[in-house]
Amino acid sequence: MSTDSNPDGGRRQVRLLIVDDSNIVRRRIERSQRLGEIEVVGTASNGIEALELARRTDPDLVTMDLTMPQMDGIECISRLIELKPSMRILVISALADKATAVQAMEQGANGFLHKPFTDRQLNDAIAELIS
Amino acid sequence: MQLSGTDRNRRFLAAGAAVAVVAVMALVLIAGFRLATRIRASVSALQTTSVLQTYPAVISQQLAALRGQLDTLEYSGRVHGELAATVADFNKDFATIERRHDLDPAAIHRAQTLWRSYQPALAPVLAFSGEPYDDTDTGSSLSSSGRVYYDQVRRAAIFAAENATVLHRQLAILSASLQARTSAAAARLRTLLFVGVLTVLALAMAALYLQLARGRHERAAREAQEQTRDILKTVREGFFLLDADYRIGSVWSEALTRLFGRSDFAGLDFEELLRNKVSPETLATAVKYIKLLWGERARESLMKSINPLGQLEVSMDNGRGGRESRYLQFDFHRVMGPKGVKHVLCAVGDITSNVLLARELQEAQENAHSQLDMMVGMLHADPLQVSTFLDSASAGLKHVNTILKEPARTDAEFRKKLAGLSRELHSIKGEASALNLMSIAQRVHHLEDMVGELKGKSELTGNDFLPVVLKLDELLAHLRGVREMTARLVTLKDGSPEPGATMSVPQLRVVPTEQPGAPSATERPARAAGDLATMLQQLAAKLAQDHGKRITLTLSGLAEVPDAYLATVKDCVIQMLRNAAVHGIEPSEARRATAKPEVGEVRVDFHRSEKGYELLFQDDGAGLSPEALKRAAVRKNILTGEEAAALDNRAALALIFRPGFSTREEVSMDAGRGVGMDVIARAVYALGGKIGVSTNPGRFTRFKIALPEARQAPAVA
Repeated sequence: MSTDSNPDGGRRQVRLLIVDDSNIVRRRIERSQRLGEIEVVGTASNGIEALELARRTDPDLVTMDLTMPQMDGIECISRLIELKPSMRILVISALADKATAVQAMEQGANGFLHKPFTDRQLNDAIAELIS
Repeated sequence: MQLSGTDRNRRFLAAGAAVAVVAVMALVLIAGFRLATRIRASVSALQTTSVLQTYPAVISQQLAALRGQLDTLEYSGRVHGELAATVADFNKDFATIERRHDLDPAAIHRAQTLWRSYQPALAPVLAFSGEPYDDTDTGSSLSSSGRVYYDQVRRAAIFAAENATVLHRQLAILSASLQARTSAAAARLRTLLFVGVLTVLALAMAALYLQLARGRHERAAREAQEQTRDILKTVREGFFLLDADYRIGSVWSEALTRLFGRSDFAGLDFEELLRNKVSPETLATAVKYIKLLWGERARESLMKSINPLGQLEVSMDNGRGGRESRYLQFDFHRVMGPKGVKHVLCAVGDITSNVLLARELQEAQENAHSQLDMMVGMLHADPLQVSTFLDSASAGLKHVNTILKEPARTDAEFRKKLAGLSRELHSIKGEASALNLMSIAQRVHHLEDMVGELKGKSELTGNDFLPVVLKLDELLAHLRGVREMTARLVTLKDGSPEPGATMSVPQLRVVPTEQPGAPSATERPARAAGDLATMLQQLAAKLAQDHGKRITLTLSGLAEVPDAYLATVKDCVIQMLRNAAVHGIEPSEARRATAKPEVGEVRVDFHRSEKGYELLFQDDGAGLSPEALKRAAVRKNILTGEEAAALDNRAALALIFRPGFSTREEVSMDAGRGVGMDVIARAVYALGGKIGVSTNPGRFTRFKIALPEARQAPAVA
């Protein structure tokens, strides 16, 4: 995947990193972003992998699952924000309790999307985050 | 916000008007003072010019007098002195006129020139000193200097006489111009005063108007304040503002008092408001959320979606010494100022009734849903089956009622009651599931749960059975409803061309009998057997689906079942089928692994035998393990360890016919209750029959039920 293509001339594409332990969800998000101004720069299935990828690919936007093996989403969010404070993070989680959402926001997340979601909900949430 | 803005403007206007009044008055006063000073100077100058005008004539007269005195040789010293004084006065006064800048310089110059032209004539006269006469005091003649003096006086007198009028006129012109200027200045002063007074008046009126407007505005503000107070007093929601320190502002709605049972809100910390009303975890989350509201990062819509206080269960004093649970809804709206979030507006509502209503609604919906499910199930089921089931279920429940009514005192008697209840309920549930009447099956399941709980109690009393009785009543009411619905559905089906269905239900005997194909009474057993086969196939399909297994059911000879045995055979096959589906037949993967066909097979065969009839039931499932059965029996306290060890395989297999035996830990709708096979065995014994089981672990389980020759049909529920 090319990382520096600028098809719309001059303006840098939004670089998206997808973090989710479910292969299906990862593919689903990736597929929904194939067109448009988002460029998927990587996918990770746990927090540690996500951090490593984030260091290498310098994403602007991260979709973040919360319950993952090894390093959970909440910790990963705070580490990502430490790495790059301007990073926008959209939490995508099936956890319904508001306390987790509040905790994620407290760590630096910028948006929250509940699973299951429609492509439209996903695109709206991303559009709101990068606008 | 807008209110205070216009208020500020008005204040600025009033202050501006006051400043303007002072400034205008000061200007008018200064200008007036300067004008008055100038007028005063003009007036004194005017006096001077008036005096000056008289001098030419005086000088002429004095020169003439001097000449006369010299003519008559009189003493001329005094007049000479007076002339000198007059000339000196003239010079002095004229000098003051010359210094004035407001007079026409040309006119002054002309007067100057005229006056200077006097000088050659006057100067020698004034310069003369000494005595003009010779001799003595009586005098006789002019001395030589006296004659010169006389000539000079004469010439000066002639000059003065000739020019006095001209000089006088010139001075009069100056005086007139000065007069005109003075009166012009006076007019200006008058105008200035007039304008000044008018301006001050106008400004004073403006100030008055502003003052009135301010009063009006203050009244409006007071009214607005009152209205706000009224709104806050009456509104049902609790409203307050939170400041950046998460403290409640000084304005809040009265409803808060009712919602939180306190009234010291002003300055109260938000955390303090909820403390002891919610769990510490919820409180911590709420506080974090409030802090997030102040951040710029989160959008309002997002914050709304993650609001952890959207439906908050709080525990409150109920005013009677106890505590009660209420549901509060907190809504937060950020109030933006020029420097970001200024306040957070918080609206609290009591949504307890909404929450309870929503629950009721959900229950009602579930109920309706289950009713609908049931109707759909009934549409698929044969009305005869349903009707038969309803009859037997009613009879069964009546039996349950009888069991409940039986007098009991000892714990053992109560426990016997419970065992009886369990068996009866289990069999009703089995049939309901088989017919897909899930609403009934679930209710019976619930009843079974209650009975199960009672079994677990250490001591039992009659009161413990009350809830069971209530639940039983509810179930009976439900059964009545189902019966009604069946009748209606049958009426609907009546129009269908299926003849058997219409006539098979007793209530429908009113249907015209001349209908073609109406069955005769002799057709009934065959139909019933056909119904049984259909019902068993449906049950098998349903059980297979529920337990994720694949089963084919092969039935044969059911048409041979005599009427008298129909109910028992049905019960037996249902129970065994259920056991086969839950315990016997393995999941497809397990079967594949042991090289068995993926689809499990259950065969039911009913046939005549030498001594009567025989019912064979066989599944090709995992079979029964005598050791597992023994372990279960020990675990259930049916046997002690030694007793179990002493059992041979045959006796171990017979354990399944013991009351209360089950090898399955979890309880499902279909098995695991530990009643079932014992009921079957009793039913078979009651008919004078025998039941036996054989198994080959991993290969099959086979039940063989032998029944004697059927006598006249006994009453079967």
